[in-house]
Amino acid sequence: MKRAVLSVLSVAGLCAATGALAVDNIRGLAMTCDNCHGTGGTSVGLSMPSIAGLPEAYLKNIMMEWKTGKRASANMTRLIKGYSEDEIAALAGYYAKLPWKPQPQSVAADVLLKGKDASEACENCHGKTGASEEDDTPHLNGQWAKYLELELMKYRDPGFAMPHRKMTNAAKKLGADQVQPAAQYYGAQSK
Amino acid sequence: MSQINRRNFIKVAAAASSATALSFPSIARAAAKAKVVVIGGGYAGATAAKYIKRLDAGIDVTLIEPNPVYTSCPLSNEALVGHRDLKTLQVGYDGLKKRGVNVLQDLVTGVDRARKTVTTKGGNTLSYDALVMSPGITFHYDTIEGYSESLINDIPHAWEAGPQTLLLKKQLEAMPDGGVFVIVVPKGPFRCPPGPYERASLVANYFQHHGKKKSKVIILDGNDSHSKKGLFNQAWAKMYGWEKEGLNTNGMIEWLKGAEGGFINKLDAKTKTVSSDFVDVKADVLNIIPPHKAGRIAVTTGLAGSTGNNFEKGWCKVQPMDMASAVDPNVYVVGDSCVAGEMSTYGNPNAAFDMPKSAHIAMAQAKVAAAAIVAKVNGLPTPQPYYANTCYSVVGDDYGISVAHLYRVVNGTFKYIPEGSGVSPVTMPDGSPVPPIYRKLEAEYADGWLRNVMADAFL
Repeated sequence: MKRAVLSVLSVAGLCAATGALAVDNIRGLAMTCDNCHGTGGTSVGLSMPSIAGLPEAYLKNIMMEWKTGKRASANMTRLIKGYSEDEIAALAGYYAKLPWKPQPQSVAADVLLKGKDASEACENCHGKTGASEEDDTPHLNGQWAKYLELELMKYRDPGFAMPHRKMTNAAKKLGADQVQPAAQYYGAQSK
Repeated sequence: MSQINRRNFIKVAAAASSATALSFPSIARAAAKAKVVVIGGGYAGATAAKYIKRLDAGIDVTLIEPNPVYTSCPLSNEALVGHRDLKTLQVGYDGLKKRGVNVLQDLVTGVDRARKTVTTKGGNTLSYDALVMSPGITFHYDTIEGYSESLINDIPHAWEAGPQTLLLKKQLEAMPDGGVFVIVVPKGPFRCPPGPYERASLVANYFQHHGKKKSKVIILDGNDSHSKKGLFNQAWAKMYGWEKEGLNTNGMIEWLKGAEGGFINKLDAKTKTVSSDFVDVKADVLNIIPPHKAGRIAVTTGLAGSTGNNFEKGWCKVQPMDMASAVDPNVYVVGDSCVAGEMSTYGNPNAAFDMPKSAHIAMAQAKVAAAAIVAKVNGLPTPQPYYANTCYSVVGDDYGISVAHLYRVVNGTFKYIPEGSGVSPVTMPDGSPVPPIYRKLEAEYADGWLRNVMADAFL
């Protein structure tokens, strides 16, 4: 029993032992993210992304871009400015080590076909099913389709400052009627 | 914690007599290492119960809650105007039971802090090593002359979601075009600081969509300012013809501040007329949000302040590191009953550094308390606490706004972190209008937020 408890609280203990630079209680810090992103970072809210299991470099980069004002967000740009660079790095490491749990969503066969066609614009970087293993590329397989659709909307909107030129170009190449099917195609993938 | 140490000793002794027992967690679980009782199964209480179990399954947790189903107050204004079914806001306690929480459907009638016991209406007596006090709020009807609890079926508050929400909905639907919907807001602090203004927005939205464009929403406010004021005023101007503060404007929504007569102290229930020292306003639909304070059981247990300003009297002060009551280290007060945040600013109506009474911050407080209780039971130091908040308000079609708050504990005191806090932009940094996509995203995020907080607390 004692071992189980230690594993739960070990991160806090270790950080306390390694000195002031370490982030105290990363688990407690991460719990503040879980309100919106789901217990353990796996979301059940359709417009909110799961973050558990996303690549560390991607997570760190996106949070730092919000913090430094390089990337727009309707809300994350506010909270994240209150977190230190060390905390951001620790959070990225923490969530990256958790398993990616795809939530495959059912979608009509014709939409799936249309989405598969549209996803050709995404395939180079994200892979055929969105399960890219690249460290700077987020998984799309079984991510919430609604969230992916909103992300595409952000990349396609000239009033919304998104820094990733390649992604912006790819998103703008999609026809307006391809956005939702592309999002739903990736949302439907289990692996 | 002598009781816990004794329990631990018994458990260790029992396990030592059978060396193999150590490798079976189920046997360790059979003898709980500590008992925690949670009073109240709202967002705060449910989260505390779940997270204690999640952090240490060996702790025995009992949650006592009189209702079999919880109805979320957040986004219940959407149910009020028919944008969502009330059922989407409801959740039972099976999720917590599955996690090993004992759920007792009962009402707590007394707490003996010296003996560390809780007694219930159903005749149960439970002992505790740590008590989580999360009873929410109790309304105080007697602060408005002519008003009483017996009137709430005719004059609903809808400030606890459920039947009250549906009652007010029925009245809204029955109101003829040209009618006046009045919202009376109590002096702060109150539960859900942006709630009254979100309600006004969505009621106006309802008028537009249901052929009642000649109707009005009048907010009579006990306060001189309110949450997200710049954002609400902007949204109202854009969608509901908002002109300016005060009564008798051409806008669909009117707002009267406390100092100019918004502070209501009298009701004529027969004519649904409310009065302040300056004005009398007759309503077709009257929605009085009664003044409220910490839940009654928190007060009778001696945890609430009996003197001081509006933030101190009737609310429960807590220790920043672990949310333990300022008067009892074995009782943790989380959710709307407590008062937390930067203490130095209390009493200043223009400072928003107290923690808002929101579901989100209630859950943050509950997680801090849960981690502290688990650490204490296991003889470990209190983990560093973090408190974050997000409140979304949906104010129109594809139009959402939010406020975020971040608090840390520095040298044992709450510290509001302004750079990690703030409202949605009113304009872009260069002064240009905010592109509509920002408002649409936040309206979508409000729903995603709701589903995740409900699951994070109850499932």
